[in-house]
Amino acid sequence: MPIMTGRAMMGNIMVNGMMNEGLSLEIIYSFVIILASLMIYYGTKELYELSGHKGIKYFRQAFLYFALAYFFRSSIKFALRYFNVMAVFDIDPRSINSIIGQTTLFLYIYLSTMAIFYLLLSVKYKQWKNESVMFLQTLAVIVGIISVIYNNPLSHLVINLGLLVVVVGVVILSKSGKKNNLQIIYILLLLFWVLNVLDVMIPGFFRTFQLIIYLASSGIFMTMLYRVLRNTGGK
Amino acid sequence: MAKRGKLEIIKDLLIIVNDSHGRIKTTPLLRQTNLSTTRFKEYYQELINKGLIKEKNNDGKVVMITDKGIKFLEKYSTIVNFIKEFDL
Repeated sequence: MPIMTGRAMMGNIMVNGMMNEGLSLEIIYSFVIILASLMIYYGTKELYELSGHKGIKYFRQAFLYFALAYFFRSSIKFALRYFNVMAVFDIDPRSINSIIGQTTLFLYIYLSTMAIFYLLLSVKYKQWKNESVMFLQTLAVIVGIISVIYNNPLSHLVINLGLLVVVVGVVILSKSGKKNNLQIIYILLLLFWVLNVLDVMIPGFFRTFQLIIYLASSGIFMTMLYRVLRNTGGK
Repeated sequence: MAKRGKLEIIKDLLIIVNDSHGRIKTTPLLRQTNLSTTRFKEYYQELINKGLIKEKNNDGKVVMITDKGIKFLEKYSTIVNFIKEFDL
């Protein structure tokens, strides 16, 4: 059995400490987002059950999908650490783990894209036809499949930035150009959605900004939760 | 007079039913809601399906508000404010 020098042991302890720190950060981040999303979903249950309002229905579904998407996101992050790889595509393609990794990645991309689409539907459903849900579902599945098939950071960057531009454009142009704080929150939510997707798809994308982006992203969800609780009498 | 939204019509209908204390029949209810017969039938059926009102046979069919209907009236302003707040 090899004997470790004092310096090597210290190095090992420091690396393990950093790994645990990163893991703790992921757990807290996922927990905050999933909890906030589920609180929004269940906090609006009564309003939807009483009114049957389509806008409330899509709004709730957006946050249910966010909760599920962030659950799969954290699963991917834990798997990457467990297998000691940088990206899902780095897992041995001959192993069963690769299939599990790619299925989880597909679910994450599909659910998070659909969450954004439901948020969009909640403000645009009056202008859009009923078939638009089916169209957006198909589009989200296609985006998910592309994410699993192409191992190319540039393609992920182009797809997600393209989606961001389209969705932000629709949000800005919606509601007869009425500007309010909500539009800013929605746009920030969309921006951090893209950053979170790119963080999973492109290894080392966040680098030193990870903590700041996690804090800002959690802040957006907490702001939404606060506004929901304030307006549902939950506060 | 501004056109009433769907939720407002439901609220108005429930208020009429609630104020009648379970004594109103469908024909006077239709008259008081200021809706066309076709639209009234649609709303009436929707309210029955959602469990906001129920029918009872006491010397003819009368309409009564349910506990869920009362809850809707209590929460009406919260629902409307929520829809406004989030541009839904």
